[in-house]
Amino acid sequence: MNKKEVKKKNKPIVKKTIEMVLFIFFLFILFAPIFSILIWSVAIRWYWPNTMPQEIGFDYWLQALGVTKNLTLGAVNVLPAFFLSLGIAIIVVIISMLVSVPAGYALSKLKIPHILKGLILILFLLPRAFPQQPVFLNLMLLFNKVGLNGTVTGVILVHLVVGLVYAVWITTSTFNSIPPELEEAARSIGASRGRAFLKVTLPLAAPGLIASAVFVFLQSMFEFTGTFFVGLPFVTTLPMTLYSASGSNIQFASVIAILLLIPSIIFMFIIQKLLKAEYIGGISG
Amino acid sequence: MSKNKNDLQINNNQAGQGTGKKSPANLLAFILLFPAVAIIILLYVQPFFASFWGSFVSKQGELGFENYAVVTDRYMQDVYFTFGVTVFSTLIATIFSILLGVYLRLSQGWLQQAVSVLYRLPIFLPFVVVAQMMRSFLAPHGILNLLLAQVNLIDIENPLQLFNWIGLSFGFVWKEGPFMVLLIVGGFQMIDNSYIEAAKSVGANLYQIITRVLIPMNKQNILVAITLVFCSYVGCFSFPYMLIGGKTPATITIDIAHRVNYFRDYGVANALGVFSYIMVSVLAIYYVLNMRKGLYE
Repeated sequence: MNKKEVKKKNKPIVKKTIEMVLFIFFLFILFAPIFSILIWSVAIRWYWPNTMPQEIGFDYWLQALGVTKNLTLGAVNVLPAFFLSLGIAIIVVIISMLVSVPAGYALSKLKIPHILKGLILILFLLPRAFPQQPVFLNLMLLFNKVGLNGTVTGVILVHLVVGLVYAVWITTSTFNSIPPELEEAARSIGASRGRAFLKVTLPLAAPGLIASAVFVFLQSMFEFTGTFFVGLPFVTTLPMTLYSASGSNIQFASVIAILLLIPSIIFMFIIQKLLKAEYIGGISG
Repeated sequence: MSKNKNDLQINNNQAGQGTGKKSPANLLAFILLFPAVAIIILLYVQPFFASFWGSFVSKQGELGFENYAVVTDRYMQDVYFTFGVTVFSTLIATIFSILLGVYLRLSQGWLQQAVSVLYRLPIFLPFVVVAQMMRSFLAPHGILNLLLAQVNLIDIENPLQLFNWIGLSFGFVWKEGPFMVLLIVGGFQMIDNSYIEAAKSVGANLYQIITRVLIPMNKQNILVAITLVFCSYVGCFSFPYMLIGGKTPATITIDIAHRVNYFRDYGVANALGVFSYIMVSVLAIYYVLNMRKGLYE
């Protein structure tokens, strides 16, 4: 009895210690890989087996951002690739919103025969579940025939497919979450369907739609597999430059990796409150 | 593409004949849905089925199982490797995420608060960046080996070689484990405290609370998380390609890229693709049916 009481008293301390040790381990596993590219991006000389670099500086950063043009570093200006990725992503967001908002609205609010609705929903779920790489390979063969291979248009179309799948789901579930009574009330006092949509449903759906747009944007910025088959070697988006630097120049590749993360970090704050857990995991690159 | 369109028109007509009032709404639905459905059918469904068809067409253009013979001849080791790494990584990620999910559900205090925010970080990083992180972190001269040598856990002259299934699994779990936590912890939080209290009052210990209350009540979310993560591992290309590309054994996705880039051999690449479809098929079908049901409600 007495022993048990002592044991009970000690328990919280032991528990706290274990929790603390596990927490430090968790922090290490979580941050060490991130820290690894941060430090490599500023390492100029790092002789093995020193634990830290001998010389630190922003040479590779300046080179990648086009400020300096040093031929010995083996790093080139990646701003063109960055802006290409940005431009493609913006176009993809615009097109996929124009296409997915009406589709999501129809799937959620309009009467569609049950079987047909099921078929359409399955259509938009397949790309989520099945590996996409073989599909992109055959898309490449299709684009070969029509001359879209290696063009920016081809890459935009690939990113559009990837983004649209998620956009339709997110917009559909966003519209689902808005009670139909609101729009019905607007229509009962004489508003047309279009006006009721613009004045009632659309403003209520705005947060979900913005989340969807952000999601499509990130998806496009990070897209790898489709661009690898359809875009290379002519369309080099930022992930493609990262891929080609990765094998040869660890500093340069680390700089590109961080550049690629900047939009991600900015949008992470916007998106995480707005979006259902299901969809966030789709950011795979 | 035209099949669906026709279906919809037929349905429109039927609805129109019946009531006369429904017709404009159906026509509107058709117009609103058409662009999205057309894009997916043209740019996804068509190439999806083309990959099955292409797997039966040999390089000489003949129909048959020649491509599959090449796969079973040369690539079975890689098929098993892909499956093994996927199962192993999914298993580790599942155990890790359930434990972390339980911790986040049952604990309180600033440590729990900190963990509940920090664990989300990897979810927002794309695989291509994770690949670069792991390349520099797990390399023979990487930070992990340097630190392990500092604390004398390894000999620096003989560093851990991690550009293989170990590094692959580590990266997979690092990236998708947190996503699983996100899915699973949501389900845990839906479980009312009274269930846990009731279990405690009849003498259940922590292990019993986890296995008899928390996991069974959250089965659906856990299964969906396992499915999504398993499928994403099988289909992941960028990370394996950048970490172990060119080594053997490789993943199916690496083999497909090699087959295309070095041999222009689309038949075998497609046959390999079909193997990856088969690998995810059971879980993928479960997911599609499950999700579809969810959206009807």
